[in-house]
Amino acid sequence: MSTIEAVTVPKWGMTMTEGTITQWMAKEGDSVAHGQELLEIETTKVTNVVEAAASGILRQIVLKEGTTAPVGALAGVIADQAASQEEIDAFIASYADRLGASGDGQAGAVAPRAIAVGEGVINVLETGLAGEEAVVFLHGFGGDLSTWLFNQAAIAETHQTIAIDLPGHGASSPLAGGDDLLARIVTAVEAALEAVAPTRIHLVAHSFGGAVAAVIAASQPQRVASLTLIAPIGLGKTMNRDFLTDFIAAERRRPLLGVLERLFADPSKITSDMVEGTLRFKRLEGVPEALTAIADIIADDTGQRQSITEALAGLKCPVLLIWGDQDQIVPVPQAADLPANARLIIIPGAGHMPQMEAASTVNNAISENIKSDT
Amino acid sequence: MAQKSFRQALNEALHFEMARDPRVIMMGEDLTGGAGANGVKDAWGGAFGVTKGLLGAFGPERIRDTPISEAAFIGAAAGAALTGLRPIAEIMFVDFAGVCLDQIMNQAAKFRYMFGGRAKTPLVIRATYGAGSRSGSQHTQALHSIFTHIPGLKVVIPSTPYDAKGLLLQAIRDDDPVIFLEHKMLYDTVGEVPDGAYTIPFAEARVARDGKDVLIIAIGRMVSVAEEAARKLAADGISACIIDPRTTSPLDEDTLLDFTDKIGRVVIVDEANPRCSVATDISALLADKSFDALKAPIKLVTAPHSPVPYAPNLEDAYIPTAAAVAKAATSIAKR
Repeated sequence: MSTIEAVTVPKWGMTMTEGTITQWMAKEGDSVAHGQELLEIETTKVTNVVEAAASGILRQIVLKEGTTAPVGALAGVIADQAASQEEIDAFIASYADRLGASGDGQAGAVAPRAIAVGEGVINVLETGLAGEEAVVFLHGFGGDLSTWLFNQAAIAETHQTIAIDLPGHGASSPLAGGDDLLARIVTAVEAALEAVAPTRIHLVAHSFGGAVAAVIAASQPQRVASLTLIAPIGLGKTMNRDFLTDFIAAERRRPLLGVLERLFADPSKITSDMVEGTLRFKRLEGVPEALTAIADIIADDTGQRQSITEALAGLKCPVLLIWGDQDQIVPVPQAADLPANARLIIIPGAGHMPQMEAASTVNNAISENIKSDT
Repeated sequence: MAQKSFRQALNEALHFEMARDPRVIMMGEDLTGGAGANGVKDAWGGAFGVTKGLLGAFGPERIRDTPISEAAFIGAAAGAALTGLRPIAEIMFVDFAGVCLDQIMNQAAKFRYMFGGRAKTPLVIRATYGAGSRSGSQHTQALHSIFTHIPGLKVVIPSTPYDAKGLLLQAIRDDDPVIFLEHKMLYDTVGEVPDGAYTIPFAEARVARDGKDVLIIAIGRMVSVAEEAARKLAADGISACIIDPRTTSPLDEDTLLDFTDKIGRVVIVDEANPRCSVATDISALLADKSFDALKAPIKLVTAPHSPVPYAPNLEDAYIPTAAAVAKAATSIAKR
C-alpha cells in the first residue's frame, strides 16, 4: 500500500490567508526526510520555511516558485516509490476538490477582540481549545501580537492560546509615560488576563515583554505555570539603545528598513509588507509618544534600566531563556547575570527574533518547557 | 482592522481634520446638494458621495456650495488660503481645471515664490480623474502630468483606501497648494483603514509587492492593474515588484532608483496620455541615473495619445490593461 502525503501552504498566524512560494529547496524526485526544510513561503510579514511532514520522495511540485496560493492549497506531493503516477494525479485532483469545499472555512481569520481595562482597551487574539490552562504571548517593543505569526497557531494545536497587544502597541490603548509605566502596563495586562484567561497560564514573552512577564510571574506564582522568555531585557545592562531611538525616529521606508534589519540575522527575510505594516503602526497619532514613553523605561544613557534577575531567581516554575547567538539588540547575557534556576537555549544563526527566524526550534522549546511544569 | 471604502476613508479624513482644525473649510459644486436650491440638503454628499454628512456636522459656513464657476471658487479658495484659512476646494472632474488653470498655475502655485517666501498657501484642490465610467472625453482625463509640470504645486494620487486617508490628512496640513486626485473607479474599492488619524509623508513611495525579475512602477488606479498583471506573471514564473510613487510631485526618486538598481528591468504604467507625462519623466530619471543597472529598455504602458473615447468598447481599449502590462514585462524579463 503506497502512502501519499500532501505538502500544503500552512496557516501561520490568524490573519494569513495566502502565501507566495519563494523557493523550493528540493527538486522533484529528491528523497526528503521528515523535518527536512522543503520550501520557503513568503507571508505578509517575513519569509518562513516549511518542513517536510513525512519522509519519502518529492514526487510532484504543484505550486511553482513565484506562485501565490491560499492557505491550505496543495504545494507538492510526497510519496514513496510504490505510488503510481496515476495515484498521484488522482490525489492532486481530489485535493483541488477538497480545497474548494473547505478553503474558505480554513482561511477564515480568527478575529481579535478588545478587552476593556481601566480607561482603555487591551487587544487579544485567542485560539485553540478552551482549557484549564492557557499559553499567553507577550511581544516586545514596537511589535504586536503578530510577532507570534509562526508560533501561536502551532501551540494552539495543543493548548488554549492568548496573544496580547501590549499597551501602546497594535490595537491596545497607550498609557502615559513615567517611571511607574512598567507597573501600569503589568496592571493592564493582568486585568485583561483576568477577563480572558483561565486560572493557570504559561507565559511566553519576547524582549521588552519579558520584563512584563517576569513581574507577573513573580507577583502571581500560584497562577503562572511556566515562563519562556525570548531575548528578554533585564538580564544585564548592555543593549543597543540606538535601536529604540532610531526605531521611533524612522518615518520613512528606507531608514526604517535599516532599523528593522538589525533585528534579524538574515535581513533578506524582511518583506516590504513588514516595513509598511510597521510604518502604518508608527504613523498613527499618539504612537510615537507611547513608544518614547516605553523606550524611556527600557534604557537610558547607562544601558538597560530594568532588572528581572531577582524576579526570576525567586520562581519555582520552569524558566526557559531562548536567545539567538547573533542578537544585535539585547546580547546573550553573561553567565553571572543568569539566574541558577533558568535554562538557556542559544540558537545559532538567529538574531533578536528567533521566534520568527527559527520558528520550529522555538515552538518545540516552548512546548517542552510547558510540559516540564509538574 | 476595519474594512472601509476609498470614499469612506476620504470622508473620515475630512471629518477628522474639520473637527480638529477650525480653519479648514470646503467649497465646490454640489458638496451639500446644490447651492440656491430649496430641496433636501446633503441628500447624497456630492457627486460621488465623498462629502456626505459634513454639512450637518460643520454647517453651511464651512461647507460651501458654489456656483458652476471654477475660476471663481478656486480663486476664492486660493485667496482664503492666503488669509490663514485651510480651504479644500473640489473640482468635480479634473477636466474642468481648464477653466481655472490661471488661478492654479499663475496664482496659487506662485504665491510662496513671488511674495519672498512670506506667504503660505495651504490649499487642497480635490478632483476626480480617470476613465472607465462612460463619462466622455471631457470628464475622464488623467491630467496629473500637467500639474506635476508646474513648480509650486504638490500632486498626490492615492491608490488604496489606506493611502487616501493618510495622504489627504497630510495634504490638508501641508502649507503649499496640493492637487489631490481621486480616481472615480476607486471609490468603491475596500481596504483596511485605521479609525484613528495618521499622515503619510509626501515623496514616500510604497512598495506594493516584492519581486525580483521586473519592476513595475504604477500610478493611481494603475496600481491595481499592475497587481493583476503581477499575478498573471507569477503563474509564468516571473516575479514582479510593484512600486506606487503615491505623489508625483515631490517624487520619491531614491526609492525608484534603489529598486531599478536592484532589479534592472522596468515597466511604467500610467493612465495618462504618453507625451510629456509622468511616465516619460520617470523613464528619463531612471535612464539618466540608473543607466548602468538597466538590463533592458524601459517599457511604458500608457493610454494612447488620443482623447478618451466615449464608445464603451473604445474606452475599454484606451485604458491600460493587466494583459498589456504582463506582455510588456514578459518582453523584457528574459533579456
